[in-house]
Amino acid sequence: MSYSRNKGLEINSLTVEYQEGHLALEQMDLCLPEHSIYTMIGPSGCGKSTLLRAIAGLVQSYTGEIKFNDQSLRKQGTALIGLVPQNYGLLPWKTVHSNIRMAMRISDSGRHTKGQQEQQITSWLTAMGIADLAQRYPLSLSGGQQQRVAIARAFAILPEIMLLDEPFSALDAITREEIQTIFLENWISHPTTTLFVTHDVEEAILLGEKIVVMPSNKEEPPVIIDNPVFQISHEDKRDSDEFFAQTKRIRKVMQEKW
Amino acid sequence: MKKKQIPHLIRLLFVFLGMNVIWYLLYIVINKSILPNPLDVYASMLHLDGQEIAIHVGYSLFRVFAGVVLALILGLSIGILMGRSPRWNKILDPVVYLTYPIPKIALLPVVMLFFGLGETSKILMIMLILLFQIIISVRDGVKAIPDNTYDVLSSIGADRVEKFWHVTLPGALSVILSTIRISLGTAISVLFFTEIYGTEYGMGYFIMDAWLRMNYSEMYAGIMLFSLVGFILFLSVDYLEHRFMKWRK
Repeated sequence: MSYSRNKGLEINSLTVEYQEGHLALEQMDLCLPEHSIYTMIGPSGCGKSTLLRAIAGLVQSYTGEIKFNDQSLRKQGTALIGLVPQNYGLLPWKTVHSNIRMAMRISDSGRHTKGQQEQQITSWLTAMGIADLAQRYPLSLSGGQQQRVAIARAFAILPEIMLLDEPFSALDAITREEIQTIFLENWISHPTTTLFVTHDVEEAILLGEKIVVMPSNKEEPPVIIDNPVFQISHEDKRDSDEFFAQTKRIRKVMQEKW
Repeated sequence: MKKKQIPHLIRLLFVFLGMNVIWYLLYIVINKSILPNPLDVYASMLHLDGQEIAIHVGYSLFRVFAGVVLALILGLSIGILMGRSPRWNKILDPVVYLTYPIPKIALLPVVMLFFGLGETSKILMIMLILLFQIIISVRDGVKAIPDNTYDVLSSIGADRVEKFWHVTLPGALSVILSTIRISLGTAISVLFFTEIYGTEYGMGYFIMDAWLRMNYSEMYAGIMLFSLVGFILFLSVDYLEHRFMKWRK
């Protein structure tokens, strides 16, 4: 391993068992350097979601180790985690504003004053282009708007790790591209250690510094692919030769491993 | 919103007038003192001693509120416990299952034997009637909250109290409100029942007293007032629903 061993997210021989001997993950190893963003694609049932849930502390019964900056994440609250689930994970009975405020209050433990928090909320909603929706309830918003709120919330708590579980898969193509752009812009200004699970090859290439391809056979290790496309400015990515080359390359890996 | 409410009010008013017309027709057909002219009833309503009525209404409202609040506190705690903990659900489910079909009103003599004829037994009866419905609906309401609703809060390290406050309680609130709406009718009926003994205050007493004195127009006036109180209680549940269930629309 070329990068520093103790900085970032480190997963060592992680095995998660679902009921009756069925393994969701087997002896998995993965390293994410601090302030990097990795995208992960894999066939359904390969354990992507389980991995995120284990990192987030939502699955506790695993063997192996999950560490962030050398500290075990087994105890909840060791590292602050910004989770963006596929279903957005917004509480329907709270307005956009109070959804974010609640998350900030729970995670913040008094570091910021109320005024600072309010300012943060406003600036994140503005960054996501939804400042005018602050007092609306999630059920009155479109999927894309809800997803923006969920991302604003994840950024607003200033997490140490960000986990996204196929966040844009339910959105139509145009909305998805818009949100991908907004997400990446904000990530670049706040580079949180991020694991981004997707089932979309293009999305994996557009958003990841490296791309983790999960094999369908759980005994095989995940394939980690360098992604030169990440260096290209976002609007030029899709038209670049690297993008096509990378797509081909990943499809080939997928054909072999799935 | 406002625009929709106005035709709604007009419809209600029409129904109310219609009912009075039917009442008036029945009065003409039956032509006995046991069914007085609605106009006489309203006239006697106006002649009632306001202060006395206020005391009767106040007593009735106090009993309903005390019963509802007690039932809510107990029912919420037990219902949420059963909804959140499979172990407690296993223990308590047979208890609820066995006791639910018992007609609680039949326990009235038992409650009277144990707690006397005073306020305690009246409030307890109202609570008993409501309690089981609240337990069951709160439990089901809490169970219906998908597990992943808690995910984001768990991942940022929310404790039990925070999860309860931000997810469980608001998630169960809609079922709680609809249960209160349904059981309020029952509660008012039971209130009437408990107010015909061991008290000299309350709407139930007022109606039965007028009945004994064969003052039928006052009796009907009492019934009308009692209904009005029920209607106002209903409206306040509507208001609460409007206030707390905004997110649904």
